[in-house]
Amino acid sequence: MFIALRDLAYAKGRFALMTLVIALIALLMTSLSGMSAGLIKNNISGLMELDVTHIAFEYDDRPTYRNTMIERAQWEEWAEQTGVKAMEPMGHTIFTARTQKDDPLELVLWGMRPASFLDPGTDLGDAIGKTENGVVISGLLAERDGVEIGDTITLDRVLTELEVIGIIEERNIGHIPIVYAPLPKWQEATYGPPGGPPPGEKLPAIVFDFVSILAMQLDESITPEQINELDEEIGTTTRDRNGFYIASTGYVEEVRTVQIIQFFLFLISAVVIGAFFATWTIQRTREIGLVKALGASNGYLLRDALSQALLVMLVGVAIGLTVGLYLGRLIMANTNMPYMLEGDQIGNAMVLLIVAGLVGGALSIRRITRVDPIIALGQEQ
Amino acid sequence: MRAENVSLLLGDGDEQIKALDDVSVSVAAGEMLIVVGPSGAGKSSLLAVCGGLRTPTSGRVWIDDTEITGMPEKQLAEVRRRSLGFVFQQSNLVPSLSALDQLLLLVHMGGRKPRAADRDKAMALLEEVGMADKARRRAGQLSGGERQRVGIARAFITDPSLLLVDEPTSMLDSNRGHQIVELLRRACHEHKVATMMVTHDRSVLDTADRVVSISDGRLAAMSDAEVTSVQRAANATY
Repeated sequence: MFIALRDLAYAKGRFALMTLVIALIALLMTSLSGMSAGLIKNNISGLMELDVTHIAFEYDDRPTYRNTMIERAQWEEWAEQTGVKAMEPMGHTIFTARTQKDDPLELVLWGMRPASFLDPGTDLGDAIGKTENGVVISGLLAERDGVEIGDTITLDRVLTELEVIGIIEERNIGHIPIVYAPLPKWQEATYGPPGGPPPGEKLPAIVFDFVSILAMQLDESITPEQINELDEEIGTTTRDRNGFYIASTGYVEEVRTVQIIQFFLFLISAVVIGAFFATWTIQRTREIGLVKALGASNGYLLRDALSQALLVMLVGVAIGLTVGLYLGRLIMANTNMPYMLEGDQIGNAMVLLIVAGLVGGALSIRRITRVDPIIALGQEQ
Repeated sequence: MRAENVSLLLGDGDEQIKALDDVSVSVAAGEMLIVVGPSGAGKSSLLAVCGGLRTPTSGRVWIDDTEITGMPEKQLAEVRRRSLGFVFQQSNLVPSLSALDQLLLLVHMGGRKPRAADRDKAMALLEEVGMADKARRRAGQLSGGERQRVGIARAFITDPSLLLVDEPTSMLDSNRGHQIVELLRRACHEHKVATMMVTHDRSVLDTADRVVSISDGRLAAMSDAEVTSVQRAANATY
């Protein structure tokens, strides 16, 4: 880096401007990663918290949580299979509802057996199972809609009344807050008649023979091929963690949108760095010819120039990242925006940004190899 | 350095010109050879071939008994770095480097970080050319003559066996030009370096141990009498 460092000091204005551009791209990338992680969490935080390896849906090439129904025979058959360490039937239905103050709500009612491995417990109040219609609500409903423990939520159309007995941290699916209910209450609300069973009567047993999905803990030894065979046999479609995230409404579209923006940022980074170093290399052509005439090899000059590009990228990214993290913390502390600073995601984005910049720089810098040292004598190449 | 029957064709097809035509020349250690000739006579082409910057169309070139004709570029670069010192026309310093760094760059190019001993040597060379007090100045902060002095000091940092000098007076006034050539002559003798200087400036011929003229790519030796006569004529014009 003999020439590289001295060039940086010599042309500090130009390099400062370039570093600033990289810093802005890194800042944008950090913010985008924060928003992307926040959006993803906002979409599938409920699924992320489930202690399961796979979810089985009703047979469908592209399963979703909205259109799936599993019957008792299917979940009993799955439960008998070797390689299934644990399995729980689970309900998922989107409802509109009214709070005690008659404010409208949109919620996802998840039904599950109390104290099973799906039971989220509670941060405040009691867990599900304490009462027949007691539910635990996502913190968002408490924070945003003012729902409190002891309140009653009434589901529209079916008029099922749910009593809030516990509150848990914010958990959503498809950006809708989740309400955790005992499985029979979910089955009653989903498959029962509006208003519940007539006074003094019970719901027919068949109502309790259906759920939406099967949440499973499968052994690592079970292969995807075996899972496919079982799916065909039982009439289900089973997805691993990534697959059951994809089944959430809007998840793929959101992730893809963010990925496209990120891809363009990587591309912009490569092009900007490439263009800068292309111009810089052209401006240095005479100097490069001179140093080559003095005995510098192409390797020496390429290493020197690449280390310069790397240094500019590292400093720019460090500045952008620092400002981005600071702004991210401000956003998280002072707004309700779905924003989350994920170390892995931001780290990967920064590494990719540096790599993209270096690739762009390297493509421009390689023209060094084409400079003929003869120009040091004032002759043409 | 020894060049035998060197010819160099430049350009393509009908545009082809013979820059060097069956040239043979040698320079011994501690000898200063001046190649004089008008613009376009082939001076720089001769320098380029002898310095491994151009491959001759025919003929062979040796430096330190190593034939450099046909050597791959990587090896040629190594030969240039180890065995050759180049003094170019005045502007050929790296703009971002100080005078001292211009010299230390060649040490760094050799694959190691410059040490205190290298700095001492570089400072001694700058002292020799009267530039020690401006060692920290960048190329742009030096006058033409000062840049040329730094270029000369740089040429000696690797203890070369051959010094190739390209028109060292072309951008300088007569007085400064003479000072530079005198400095080169002294350095050539003190460091016992074979020196080949190409110039169109006939007023500096008396500094040479030997003079050859070049015209249309052909070399011709000049006798002392011819040199004296040409020199006198040149001086009369100043």
